[in-house]
Amino acid sequence: MTVGAVTGPSGLAALQAALAAENAAIFGYGVAGAHLSGTRKTAAEQDWTGHNEARDTLTAMISALGATPVAAQAFYRLPFAVTNATSAAKLAAYLEDGVTRAYLGLVAVSDPRLRTFGALAMQSSAERAAFWRGSTQAFPGLEAS
Amino acid sequence: MLAASAAALPALLAIAGCRSSDAFAGPDPLAGRPALSPDVITLQEAIKAERAMIALYQAAVNGGTRPARTLEGLLAEHRQHLSRLQARLVLPPGSGSASPSPSPSPSSSSSSSRARGRVTIAQLRAAERASATDLVRRLVSVPPALAQLFASIAASDATHVVALA
Repeated sequence: MTVGAVTGPSGLAALQAALAAENAAIFGYGVAGAHLSGTRKTAAEQDWTGHNEARDTLTAMISALGATPVAAQAFYRLPFAVTNATSAAKLAAYLEDGVTRAYLGLVAVSDPRLRTFGALAMQSSAERAAFWRGSTQAFPGLEAS
Repeated sequence: MLAASAAALPALLAIAGCRSSDAFAGPDPLAGRPALSPDVITLQEAIKAERAMIALYQAAVNGGTRPARTLEGLLAEHRQHLSRLQARLVLPPGSGSASPSPSPSPSSSSSSSRARGRVTIAQLRAAERASATDLVRRLVSVPPALAQLFASIAASDATHVVALA
């Protein structure tokens, strides 16, 4: 997606936040994938690829605005120990929830194209979160109540 | 203070060259209801669509569409959507009720679903997909907080499509 118009500081900040979330997800899927096998490992690899593609898209959008995309960190602190397939799936759901929240920030900016982009990205991450969690949620990205 | 003002009104009208009956003959800008803003209308449309979704799910559940447990879970989430949407709706007095319309009773839903035939999973998936699309279309023109609620509900609807596969 190309965003030609300057979106303002809040739009840029939201894009950077989404990119930071994607970078963290890429790292996290690397950890989770090491504890998965079979179809779940394949799913994790597909999701890892999807996050890499999203990272590239966001990087291009931010660069098009004349800004420097935030860099990925060498290491990210995990929210809990990942020691087996169960905790790996839990981590994947956690990562997707975080990505969904990050894209929710884009929905609040004034640029309608960015809003739409963020909303559609939320759908993808919410679907992945539901897969890894094994259940849907009423309000992905938002507080439950 | 109020009594004194009322007593002084005829004198003031006389000074202004008006009869007391003239005070009731002109326009009354205070009596009319304010026009609903586009945001409110958009929210009302979203609420109406969510109610229709709930009615469709109720018809499916009452008509025996399976898997029942999955449908009941998704129906519960749609009820949460409706509740959260309605909580955002604030209408001036006289503009209609912000409270939810009563849901169709099980018997009436069952009757209508029998009349139309059983609601299929394919219909539910199509409705969920259409709802997600509509909400994303609507969210570009509403305030940020409401846009985020629409986006979240649209994401939930998208996960429903997958859950119904």
